Amino acid sequence: MHIPDGYLDPIWCAGTYAVTIAYLIYAYRRVRANYDVSRVIPLMTVFAAGIFVAQMLNWPIPGGTSLHFVGGALSAIVLGPYLASYVMFLVLLVQALVFHDGGITTLGANVLNMGIIDVWVGYLIYRLVTRYVGGSRGIFLGAFLGGWAGITIAGAAAGTEIGLSPWFPYGIYISLPVMASWHALLGIVEGAITAFVAQYLLTKHPELTQVVKVGVRAS
Amino acid sequence: MISKKQLIPIIVLIALSPLFGVYLANLVGYHEPLDVAGDLLHLKDIRYQINWTPFIDYTVPGLPDMVGYAIAGVMGFLIILGIGYLINWVHNKRSRR
Repeated sequence: MHIPDGYLDPIWCAGTYAVTIAYLIYAYRRVRANYDVSRVIPLMTVFAAGIFVAQMLNWPIPGGTSLHFVGGALSAIVLGPYLASYVMFLVLLVQALVFHDGGITTLGANVLNMGIIDVWVGYLIYRLVTRYVGGSRGIFLGAFLGGWAGITIAGAAAGTEIGLSPWFPYGIYISLPVMASWHALLGIVEGAITAFVAQYLLTKHPELTQVVKVGVRAS
Repeated sequence: MISKKQLIPIIVLIALSPLFGVYLANLVGYHEPLDVAGDLLHLKDIRYQINWTPFIDYTVPGLPDMVGYAIAGVMGFLIILGIGYLINWVHNKRSRR
């Protein structure tokens, strides 16, 4: 889903950068206001390193495409959406600058798709499901649906951005269905990995999330 | 910052990554969905014309792809940890003032 340079025109690049920077400033203020930052930085860093490595495991599918875990929804479910956005931002920044995975001009769009849209869609769906379905079954179902929907909507967002960019000759009527349907299919694996890992972390290793909970200042 | 318990699964994933990212990818012809869509729609891939890093596509110059991929994984992991350490250090220094 990493959009390379050359797919978006300068207006879309600037627009997505503006939205992403504005959100990251807002998220930074929320994190500073609500968390003990010195407690959450180490956890976020380890999480980002883990997501980066997990993304390197491409799962090739006969026929010429592949998928890899993205991790936005999982980060949001475990750490909360504002911290998760910074986790994904760090991963995407290193991927773009060091390994040219995703463009520099399109970094704003990639963070918007995988660090904001995937994160928030995954998080909100997880919260909605766990409100009605309790226990570990709720965690598993919520994380699965959150992981699947997060990656599907993020893929659709990427398709929309590319389709509306004047540099793309075929328009949104082609790019949106292609990207959305592909990611809806691949999202099943994202949902399954998110569900298994989230359930494992939240039930077997509560000390991991406890670092964040301890870090939350009493309001 | 990182415990042994957290480090072990990460090392295992890095060790396995060339199998998935290089060997199996070459076996079936790896492309991300966006690359496939771009190819179908005849979009021009300008990544190699405008490139700023020797480690493009998780390779290391002079090394076989399998080894380079694993080393790229270690590099990315260490860079992210380094950035985290740096941010933590700056934050702690500022909050002590």
